[in-house]
Formats: sequence, C-alpha cells, structure tokens
Amino acid sequence: MEIDVERLRKIVGKEDIRDHIADLYVYGSDSSVHEANPSVVVRPETVEEVQEIVRYANRALIPVTARGAGSGTSGHAVPIDGGIVMDMRRMNHIIGIKPRDILCKVESGVACDDLNKALQPYGLWFPSAPESGRISTIGGTIANNGSGVRAIKYGTMRDYILGMKVVLANGDLVTLGADTRAQASGYQLDRLMVGSEGTLGIIVEATLLLRHLPRFRAMGIAKFNKLEDAGETISDIVASEVVPSLLELVDDVAITALNKTLNMNLPQVEAIVLYECDGLLKQAVDHEMEVTKKICEKNNAFGIEMSSDAKEMERIYSGRKKLFAALSRYREGLVCTSLADDMAVPSSKIAECARKIHEVGERNHVVMTAYGHCGEGVLHTKILMDATSREQWEDARRAVEEVYDYVRSVGGTTSGEHGIAISKASSWKKEKADSLKMMKAIKLALDPNNILNPHKLMDAPDDWVTATRLRYPVEL
Amino acid sequence: MEFNRLRKWGNELDICIRCGYCYEHCPLYKLSNWEIDTPKGKLLLAYGLLTGEVEPSPYVAEKFFQCFYCKNCSKSCSAKVSPTDIFADARADLMESGFETQGTTVRNDEKLCMACGRCVSGCKSEALSMDMERMRVSVSRVKCKGCGVCVAGCPVGAMSQKEGFGVSKKELSAKLENSLRSMNGKPKVVVFCCDWSICPGLRLSRMELAGAENASGIIVTVCAGRIDPGLILDTFYQGAWGVMIACCPLEECGHNGNYRAQERCASVGKLLDVLGVESNRLRLEHFATGEDEKLRKAVGNFVKHIASLGPI
Repeated sequence: MEIDVERLRKIVGKEDIRDHIADLYVYGSDSSVHEANPSVVVRPETVEEVQEIVRYANRALIPVTARGAGSGTSGHAVPIDGGIVMDMRRMNHIIGIKPRDILCKVESGVACDDLNKALQPYGLWFPSAPESGRISTIGGTIANNGSGVRAIKYGTMRDYILGMKVVLANGDLVTLGADTRAQASGYQLDRLMVGSEGTLGIIVEATLLLRHLPRFRAMGIAKFNKLEDAGETISDIVASEVVPSLLELVDDVAITALNKTLNMNLPQVEAIVLYECDGLLKQAVDHEMEVTKKICEKNNAFGIEMSSDAKEMERIYSGRKKLFAALSRYREGLVCTSLADDMAVPSSKIAECARKIHEVGERNHVVMTAYGHCGEGVLHTKILMDATSREQWEDARRAVEEVYDYVRSVGGTTSGEHGIAISKASSWKKEKADSLKMMKAIKLALDPNNILNPHKLMDAPDDWVTATRLRYPVEL
Repeated sequence: MEFNRLRKWGNELDICIRCGYCYEHCPLYKLSNWEIDTPKGKLLLAYGLLTGEVEPSPYVAEKFFQCFYCKNCSKSCSAKVSPTDIFADARADLMESGFETQGTTVRNDEKLCMACGRCVSGCKSEALSMDMERMRVSVSRVKCKGCGVCVAGCPVGAMSQKEGFGVSKKELSAKLENSLRSMNGKPKVVVFCCDWSICPGLRLSRMELAGAENASGIIVTVCAGRIDPGLILDTFYQGAWGVMIACCPLEECGHNGNYRAQERCASVGKLLDVLGVESNRLRLEHFATGEDEKLRKAVGNFVKHIASLGPI
C-alpha cells in the first residue's frame, strides 16, 4: 500500500499530518487489548478536507479509520490494515444551539461533556453522554450507539439523532434526517449510521435532540449481603411504575477494587445498588425514591442512604465513576482487560447473569466482576488476569465464549453500550447470524472498495486473540 | 538499549487501562491536540521503548522532556498510575543513551549568567545547582519541571524556555497584546490564571466562552511563579486597567510559584504606589483545583472594582 503523504499534507496542511513511527504507534491503540499502527494520521478541519481525503483513499484503495477520542474498548479505532487514521477532533465546533427547537448542531469531534457544558446556560441537556464523555466525541458515540448511565430513563444515542451529515466512501456528502422530531417513512439512513462503527461513512456533523435539565434529583445507595437480592431488586425496580434515571449494580469484586485503589471504605458486601430519580416536581421525585427504597427493603437491603444534596450525591457516585480503572489494582499480578465488557440481558436475568459471570471466571482461572447500568440490562464484566501469561489468554478466550453463550441463551446481546469492533465480533456474529448477509450487502453497496474501517463488525477476524498485536507483553 | 529505570515500571504500564481520561487535564495536549503529547501517549511511548516497537530518537526523547509536572494526570488517574514519575525515569534512561533534548525544561545562557545563585535557592525541584569550579548554574533535565520560576526571577534574563509551549517571554507578550486588543470597549482587566491547576478544565471543543472568561479577557497562562514583575508592569504599560494573578493556595503549588508571585505582587504594588497608580489595581487570589465558580465570582468582582476606577 503506497500512500501519497505529500498529497494528504496538501489537503490538511503540514501541521495536521503525522507519519513519525512514534505518532503512528500512539494512534495504533485505544482502550482495548488491540494494537495496529496506521501508516499516517491526519486531522481534517473541514468537511471538504474529509471529502478530499476519502476520495483519494477510495481511488488508491487505502483504508480510512475515523477516530474520536480513541476511548473504545473493543478496537474500534485500531486500524487492522494500517492506512489513514483520521483524527476528527479538529472538527469540534458547536455549530448552533436552538433552545426553541430543543436541538443543537455540532461537528462530530465535539466532546460530549463540552456540549453539556455549553447547554447548561440554556437549561438544556444531552443525556446520552457516556461516562467517558469528558473526552469521547459525539461522532464516536454515534458510531458506537453509546449511551450514558441514564439510558434506563433517557435512552441511548440513537434516541437523540435527528439528522447528520456523512461523507460516504466515494467522498460524497449526504445530509440524512431533518430538524424535526417526527420523520415518517423512507429508509432511516441516519439510523443506519448509528452503531455502524465507521464502516459505512464518516460522520462530520450531527443534529441532536435535547432535553430540559431535570429540576430535582435524588440518589440512593443500598447494600446487600446476597448478590441475588441485589439482582432481584433491580428486576423489581425495572418492572415497577418507577422509572429511575440511574440504576447501577456494583459487585464484591468491584467493591474490593474500589476500597483497595481509592480507599473508598465501602462495606465488603456481596453487592451495592445505586439508584437515582429525577424530575420536574420534588414530590414526584420523593415518591419515586420512596417506592424504590421500599423495593430495596423488600429484598433485604440494609444501610440505605438517600440524598438530594449535590455534593453528597457526588460522593455516593464517585466510586462508581472511577471503577473501570480502579479494577486494575484488584490484586497484585492481575490487570484489568476490556474483555467481555458490556453485554446486556433482559432485566429479569440480571442476578442470574451476574452469578454466571462469577462462575465462568472461577472455572477459567480469571477474575470477572459484574457491575454496570443494570437498569437497562447492561453488565460490565472485564477480565482481571495475568496478561503476560500465554495460558491466561487461553483462559480468557474460553471465559469470553462461555459468558457470551450464556448471554445469547437468555435473549441478551453481545454489547449493550461499548460496541463490537474486533474483540466482541465472534460472539456477535453468532448472535446476528441470519442478518450478517444483509449487513455485508449494505457494506458492499456503500463502500464497495472496503476502505472504511475494514475488518470490523461482521468482517472482523473470528479469533480476536490473534486478530492484532496485543497491548500486553505476551508471546502467544 | 537497557532502559533499566523504565523497565521497573513495566507492570504499571500494563495497569494503565488507556482510557485517556488524562487528556482533559493535560496542558500540553491543550496546546497541540496530538495524542502523543498526552500522558497516555507518553506512557504508550514508554511501553514501545521497552518492547522495541518504538526506537529511541530525538523526537521521542523530546516528548518525555516536555511536561510541566502539574501532575493533574497522576491526581486524576483512577488506576493510580503516576505518569510523571515514569517520565522522569524515561528522561534519565534516554539521557544515558545520549538522547537529551530541552523540551519544556529551562536553559541557562552561560554568557549572561552572573552566577548569583538566586535561581538555585528558589528551585523547589532541586534541578539547579551551582558549579563552583566554573561558577555557572547547571540544569538537571531529569529534575527540571519547567515551572519557569527561575526564568521569571533571573535578574539578567539568562534563564529561558523554548517557544512552542506558551511560556516564553515572546509568547507571553504576544498573548498579552492579543488579549488587550480583544478588550476594546470593555474594562481592560487581564487575569493571569494558572493553566496547570485551577483554570477550569480543558475544553476539547470550540464554543463561545461563557461568564468571567468572556467578560475579562482571561489569559490562560502558566504557573503564577512564571509571571515576572516586568510582565506585570508591561501589562499596565500596554493599557490594562487592572491585573489579577490567580494562583493555587499557598501549600498546593508544586513549584512554590505562588509564594514567588506573592512576593512579586507586593514589590510591584509598592512600585505602583510610587508611580501614583492605585496599588489595588493589582490583585492576587488563591484558588484550589476545581474552584471554577469561586474563580468566576472573584474575576467578576475584580472587573466591577476596576470598572469603577476606570483607566489609568
């Protein structure tokens, strides 16, 4: 693959292109276990620049991988075949906020939390910012159909897309959707881009639906001596009349990690449930909090604390916010790998799934935790293992397969939040077996030369362990 | 190459989950917007050096010698990885292998240096030492944290930092000029606000600034200790009605820059009195990390106060 770097330099300017091996190495990784160097990194600043780059790449048959913050956990932005990595963060203008239409227009490189900061003076809010929203971009979140901790009440990214501008593989710019909430029949092509992981087009602009900031919020924390009780609580809350704005499970592995890494001083119980209710009326929020509390108590919760004080709520939630990284220090010799990661199961199966995850981990000599936005069925697992040991990678491979076999058997899905990319593709392909042909046909129609983020989703290698270089020092 | 010091961090490099949450806290990333300049990017380079995926080179070395040691990355890392400690060892290893670059560290112009030793005693990092034989100040590039306190304090201008990081005299003057120009029609208040600790987070996106930042022409700059008396006086000379220096609480500055700023403000205040300019046109305030609201209010009050005084 011969890349005309000079030509790309002319398109983006000399300050916005890098091809030094050190830069390529850095841009060859994300938050997953995968690594693969690109051949060149470009930072376009305009739609025209994106179009020119893609046009050139399409003619020269060079892969193009769009990159937001590179915070993906499954290898989304890792360019398996090298080629051009397109860092979208120069396209980071908030184009306009229209409070009377409850929408905003943003370039795809805008960081989610920055958008929320800009919306605050208008009393508005984009609820689908993920936990990584301080860095993760709107474009990346759309491409991944990501969601935040409040998806149980406010939905996922797809629920906030009114329209978008996308550069297709041939360099054409298309405008999809409209500025209205109601859009009747015709192919919902904007929705097709949601969750496409950069394989169908490069999202350059999005029109997003917004919400009014809730006036009242309250948060509660409940402890459980049995994981099953916590799981039952979550199922009961989801099935009740209450719609919490946040409903989280934290298991004993996660509690140990938090206490050890961040000195959180949490009680060493089997599970903790965090819940939050919000709304326009204090009485309504208080009522929902009370109903939720009663459900917790019915399921043997103890040590329930509730608060509507902003600082106190921040304290209650602070551990959960830092959990992913804190897991890396659960036990000497183990590191936290982004594997298995974020499956979703029907809410009635939360307790069973959490228990299953622990069993699978034990059977395969790795530690697996079960925490996450259980209100919407999402369980984060992670695999804590000795990543320098060849045998442990075999253990991890088995554990991942067993967990996903279970998830599919109960009607769950491989990824509820973080996406598929490389490391979850083998299970996802089994889950979507009868629609893979359709997906491949769509990909072929929109990207006949297969230049856009190739070898991801349905085209990802079956063996994720050997799909790319691994980020850990291990000889397989 | 051995990289013996770096090698002991191998496990820590595996513990980093590469989430990238350190990006938003890094002033160097704010300057360049390239991932290689983030703490995570440098940890990746360290890992690459150990595995041989990245060859040591002046370009790679330069990245490790670029760090202001605000330690916001270390403080905010939920995996409790300490990138700055790793960078220091990478610097030492790279120097041993013959790759020494200036980065953000200071340089002493031996032709100008009078060997007064003022910088040596003021360096909290113990990066400066007096070479008694040659009567010259030497700089340890491993220890230097690039705070620039010595640059601001050197009476003959022998200490300097490279351009490109917004800390050189030329860059600070240019920022000042731009800022004053943008304040036409408004009370000309310049706020030197430490970018390494208190300035409200890193905005990764471009949008209209709200509140105090917009009202007063805030200059996001460097450690308060880097603001030399000449720069403060120059700010007034160029037409500012008032100057505020926003720095960390006394015990919280990693470089003791706030103590230096306090001393300098007191001296410049006296000088203003002598010149017949109200000394309360110069104010120093302390803010801890995350005290955005306090900063906003303090700047707002100061702007009101200066507006009531009018131009000099």
